[in-house]
Amino acid sequence: MTGDAVWYEAAQVVGITNALNVAADALGALGMVEEADAPPETRALFAEIRAFYESPEVPPAFRLIAHDPAYAADVWAAARRAYADNRLSRRVKEALAFAVSLTTRSGTGTAFHLGEMRRLGVGSRGIMEIVGVTQMFSSYTKIADTLQLEPDMGDLAPEDPTPAPGGPTR
Amino acid sequence: MPTVRLREAAEYPPEAQRLFELSKAWFNHDFGQPPAMSRVMAWDPEFGGPHGRAMKRAMSPGEFTRAEKEMVAAAVSGASACEY
Repeated sequence: MTGDAVWYEAAQVVGITNALNVAADALGALGMVEEADAPPETRALFAEIRAFYESPEVPPAFRLIAHDPAYAADVWAAARRAYADNRLSRRVKEALAFAVSLTTRSGTGTAFHLGEMRRLGVGSRGIMEIVGVTQMFSSYTKIADTLQLEPDMGDLAPEDPTPAPGGPTR
Repeated sequence: MPTVRLREAAEYPPEAQRLFELSKAWFNHDFGQPPAMSRVMAWDPEFGGPHGRAMKRAMSPGEFTRAEKEMVAAAVSGASACEY
């Protein structure tokens, strides 16, 4: 887990999880797209999402934003890239998404990513490990914010000198 | 700027110095001064002690590695918009 690449991946998971939770938790009034009434491109999108999650259900966030099929397709493409196995495993990414959902009090996201963690083989001990980390660092962050502490641990890890993917070495 | 004056390590009693040693061992890093959070938690060892033990229990390797848990902790901090 050295180098910046894994942190870029983690940041993508944090960002897209928050984006999906915003829709899933607050967009209910818009109404979910029903697959039976959806155009072919939306049905194809839903089929791809179900296959990725090995689930008969499409997560609510995608059904809520599918009123604009092209937009939903792009959001899904970004989400699929963020959650797929890469340098970080899908299992770790779901743990990150669960922690973010719990931290931001997203009931929909918490339930969804808890289910994904279990589906990917995380046991009850592992789930409590992530709950513990989330809870303790929710405490540390609030203590730090209350006292307005300034970052002072930035030199713990060495700087990664490698270029951006595909870029020239400096 | 912090809302409290962060005391130098030398201003703490021996009981708190022990917490600084534990912090140093935990990070495996020799800080010039203990990190601000360590000094805050050492202010009241009856709070900082059990809080630190709960953190270490949560962060210890299990189904997830310590490194994976550090990443989860960073994600929690990011989601909380905490700069520290």
